[in-house]
Amino acid sequence: MRVRDLSISYGKGEPVLEGASVEVGKGQFVSLVGPSGSGKSSLLRAVMGLQKPLAGTVDAEVKPAEVGMLFQDDALLPWKTARDNVALGLTFRGCSQKSAAVQADYWLDRLGLKGFENRYPRHLSGGQRKRVALAQVLAQMPKLLLMDEPFASLDAIVRARVIQDVASLVEEEGISVLLVTHDLEEAISLSDRVYLLSQGPRARITQQYDVPIPRPRDPVKARVHPAFPALYEKLWNDLSHEVAFDQRAEAAE
Amino acid sequence: MLTDPRFALLRQLTAFGILLLVWEAAGRYGMINPLFVPSPSRIGAALYELFADGRIWPHLEATFTAALVGLALGIVAGIVLGVLAALIPPVAELLEPVMTLLNAIPRVVLAPLFVIWLGIELASKIALAFILVAVVIFFTVYGGIRQVDRKLVERIITLGGNRWDLVRHVYLPSVAAWVLGNLKVAVGFAFTGACVGEFVGASRGLGYLLSFAQSTYNSALMFALIFLIMVVVLLIFAAAGRLEKYLLRWQ
Repeated sequence: MRVRDLSISYGKGEPVLEGASVEVGKGQFVSLVGPSGSGKSSLLRAVMGLQKPLAGTVDAEVKPAEVGMLFQDDALLPWKTARDNVALGLTFRGCSQKSAAVQADYWLDRLGLKGFENRYPRHLSGGQRKRVALAQVLAQMPKLLLMDEPFASLDAIVRARVIQDVASLVEEEGISVLLVTHDLEEAISLSDRVYLLSQGPRARITQQYDVPIPRPRDPVKARVHPAFPALYEKLWNDLSHEVAFDQRAEAAE
Repeated sequence: MLTDPRFALLRQLTAFGILLLVWEAAGRYGMINPLFVPSPSRIGAALYELFADGRIWPHLEATFTAALVGLALGIVAGIVLGVLAALIPPVAELLEPVMTLLNAIPRVVLAPLFVIWLGIELASKIALAFILVAVVIFFTVYGGIRQVDRKLVERIITLGGNRWDLVRHVYLPSVAAWVLGNLKVAVGFAFTGACVGEFVGASRGLGYLLSFAQSTYNSALMFALIFLIMVVVLLIFAAAGRLEKYLLRWQ
């Protein structure tokens, strides 16, 4: 997936994002980090086709049906059971109800939700709902997965477990991932490459970092890899510099 | 027992029983003029007579038919027009001012007009119940769809759904939730429309009987009919509540 010189604007104001270029290779896990308002989510929405860019190009190199998106909120239909929520996207693609239900059960089972197929989202915990949302996306067998802070609403333990599930599943299935996150540890432990965005408006990609932690990788164990602390420190310093730079610019105004 | 929530119904029934006893005693000892407020025993007797000689059934049938047909048509029309207005802006431009106007006026003032247009039979009562319900449901659906959770809409789009999938999987279930939430209000409006229509001009129905009781100063019959309408509407409320609980079990 290639994004070239992407600029995004809301209304007639200044562009929130300007000239951003991002590349995600086949089976690669790439993260976007940056301060709030740097247009990270907007970039993801543009790749998904939910946001029309002001300028630049998006070349997903896969069919639109092969792109999946996981939102910060689980966005499950509250009136459908876990099984029906997962089966929904499959029926949109011509799968029969029966076959979609069988596949939905397979993915729910794979994500540790066997026995919860007939539960409504309201009767599931936050971590279970997130797993259902993940099953909903993975059941579509995406080649490119876009994730917009999908773990932000989870508590620490559930979050670690869901992240481990996601990491192993995308590795097993060879899915390319573009993740937007505020969490530097999450970005480094999961990714092959991390892009840093400057403060918006007119946010730009200022740095990119290759993560030298080998695969297959356990995101929890990746945090104790020798390369992790130095990369984290560098990323943290660069991000702090971006935020401090923006504060100085604001004060000067 | 005086504050235990489990005995709330018992406390309410006891209070109602005491009220009836005080009311009955006040009537028997001449403290209330029975011409205006008959005693509960007289109201009960009037009610018993209505059922004993069987003359109430055609009236109940007429009111029920007008209210339920008006309710069903009003809900269908309200949903269809609400969905169309929410999804097609030119339809909203045409419908919203008309519906706002109809919502702004007390719609029962249309009753005499419907009697002139449609006669004193069932059609004019159905029309009044229909217009009362349709306007309420229209605004429920129209406002509801415009406030539908954008995340759910985007979820359907990102899963590969089309416009029809959005209507089927997001808008219609949302609409069902809002309509069911307003079903009790709609039932009330439907019976208001049927009874007021019968009151204005009819040869059958509870509204017609009320009008007859008023013209003959038969306050016992009037109280009996009001009580009967209350019981009927409460029973329908209970049925609507059960339907709502079943269909919205995901909540």
